Amino acid sequence: MTKFIEAQADTWEIGGKTLNSRLLIGSALYPSPANMEEAIKISGAQIVTVSLRRQAAGDTTSKGGNQFWDIIKSIGIEVLPNTAGSHSAKEAITTAQMAREVFGTNWVKLEVIGDQYNLQPDPFETVKAAEILIKEGFEVFPYTTDDLVVAKRLADVGCKIIMPWGSMIGSGKGLMNPDNLLAIRKQFPELKLIIDAGIGKPSHATQAMELGYDGVLLNSAIALAQDPVKMADAFRVSVEAGRLGYEAGVMKEREFASPSTPTVGTPFWHQFKD
Amino acid sequence: MNIGIAGIGLVGRVLALNLLRQGHTLTLFDEDAAYGDKAAGMTAAGMLAVFAELESAESVIFEHGNRSIVLWPDLLEQVGISDAYQQTGSIITAHPQDYNELDHFIETLKSKVPEASEIKLLDRRELTQLEPDLAQHAKAFFIPQEGQVDAQRFMQASSYYLMRHDKVKWHQNTKVSDISSGSIVIEKKVHHFDWVFDARGLGANEQVENLRGVRGEVLWLDAPEVNITRPTRMLHPRYKIYIVPRENNRYVIGATEIESEDKSSVSVRSSLELLSAVYSMHSGFGEARIVKMLTNCRPTLRDNLPKIEHGEKTTRINGLYRHGYLLAPAIVEKALKEGVLK
Repeated sequence: MTKFIEAQADTWEIGGKTLNSRLLIGSALYPSPANMEEAIKISGAQIVTVSLRRQAAGDTTSKGGNQFWDIIKSIGIEVLPNTAGSHSAKEAITTAQMAREVFGTNWVKLEVIGDQYNLQPDPFETVKAAEILIKEGFEVFPYTTDDLVVAKRLADVGCKIIMPWGSMIGSGKGLMNPDNLLAIRKQFPELKLIIDAGIGKPSHATQAMELGYDGVLLNSAIALAQDPVKMADAFRVSVEAGRLGYEAGVMKEREFASPSTPTVGTPFWHQFKD
Repeated sequence: MNIGIAGIGLVGRVLALNLLRQGHTLTLFDEDAAYGDKAAGMTAAGMLAVFAELESAESVIFEHGNRSIVLWPDLLEQVGISDAYQQTGSIITAHPQDYNELDHFIETLKSKVPEASEIKLLDRRELTQLEPDLAQHAKAFFIPQEGQVDAQRFMQASSYYLMRHDKVKWHQNTKVSDISSGSIVIEKKVHHFDWVFDARGLGANEQVENLRGVRGEVLWLDAPEVNITRPTRMLHPRYKIYIVPRENNRYVIGATEIESEDKSSVSVRSSLELLSAVYSMHSGFGEARIVKMLTNCRPTLRDNLPKIEHGEKTTRINGLYRHGYLLAPAIVEKALKEGVLK
């Protein structure tokens, strides 16, 4: 199976980079940075998200979050700084500008929180921030809900990438509304779509990829597993499985049982008895 | 033996107390004053949470933690504060909307040590019997083996004990610039010893690879209306908050954990999180007085585990991270057995 994937060398492009892995991974909540590093390597992910809001604040004369950020940089994959912890467009923009300096990238995962407890994104502030950041030359990866109209507004202001949630951040509930997600996919075939947040199990990631999404971004599902390294491997495989399934073309569901082998010897009027 | 110790924080003190029992002569060096507050051990709550810390730590912590619990009473007796030790168990609870966190907590512990399957889930009646002031919580775990050391009393009493000991010479406000094979360098002057220990924590970051500081913020509250007697932890999807009771209705509330070597004052966001969490835990905290707000950085290595390193006439101990009081006696015992006292 792995050999087959290598032979295919499935590559895709996002934010001006060509990548093999469709798994984007977070860098929070691991038991230790050493464990995180191992999990990220095993996952095969080529993009790692990192938060810098709380690390960067405070004492500017000290080393700030530098050491942790150095660990992230040393992994050697693309860094996607996020604006987690921002509650307004203004806060998010300041964090994005800071991130550009710290990590030397114009990529930013735009996350503007509208509800303190469940961390639901604020669509109004997100669209506002996205518009400004794009004008400032950022490649914006906006985290949003599965609302089609919000996705449309983000596309209108110039987002090339949209990241709807599967379900609420850290909930691990998977894809709560696959129909909405599918509607977004159908509406925007040209955009890069990534499911961000809510993934709990490898099968959720497979399901997201089967919908035709370009990638999956997750953190808690791996970091909070009892064995994050093993779970990272599980997600690597499940994302590949979902993508291959999508490319292979899933058969259409039918409303009745249809044996793939003709039941020779059973009269047809008996086949539909039950 | 004539022994030098650089860094008289928690590890340095536990080392000194052990070495004095063996009859050695000690010279201590620290960049802070003997009664200063720069050491991470001065900010710590001193919890001996041998099980609860496993939620985000490896099982080796459990082994060392259990050993430390055995060793603490003698250390405290040595400095004359036997009553600074408490082992009456701890409480782990959560708000009803976060009960899943309790399940995750216990499953994680069980996956690390089989002993965790004996941890008892209390219902409201049982919890009320144990801690009447936590009666509004319907679910909690009780871990009888856990306890606490009054960290600040230990730091103070050990300073007093070491300062007066005739086999100890303490160089205060003295920054060590280098340590190697039996020598400690202070401003180009080299002090020679039969053996030297480097227990400087973050102060050793030029000599210890991959050492980083993890910021922690702590509040001290005086709350006459609150009577919680055991260390109590509240699980939450995004932060872990503990309440550690001290004498006279004083409570140590902690601690944030931010990946940043930043010792600036407590942030508004962190204080809001800590205070709203304790207020939601017990409304009596509403009228509490904020006595102190403290920040410090935990010396931490890449795997968040402690490290003992022996060289020629030299032992380095570092990386006790958020587990200083839980690990120091056991780690020091291990280091001494492997090294100088072998």
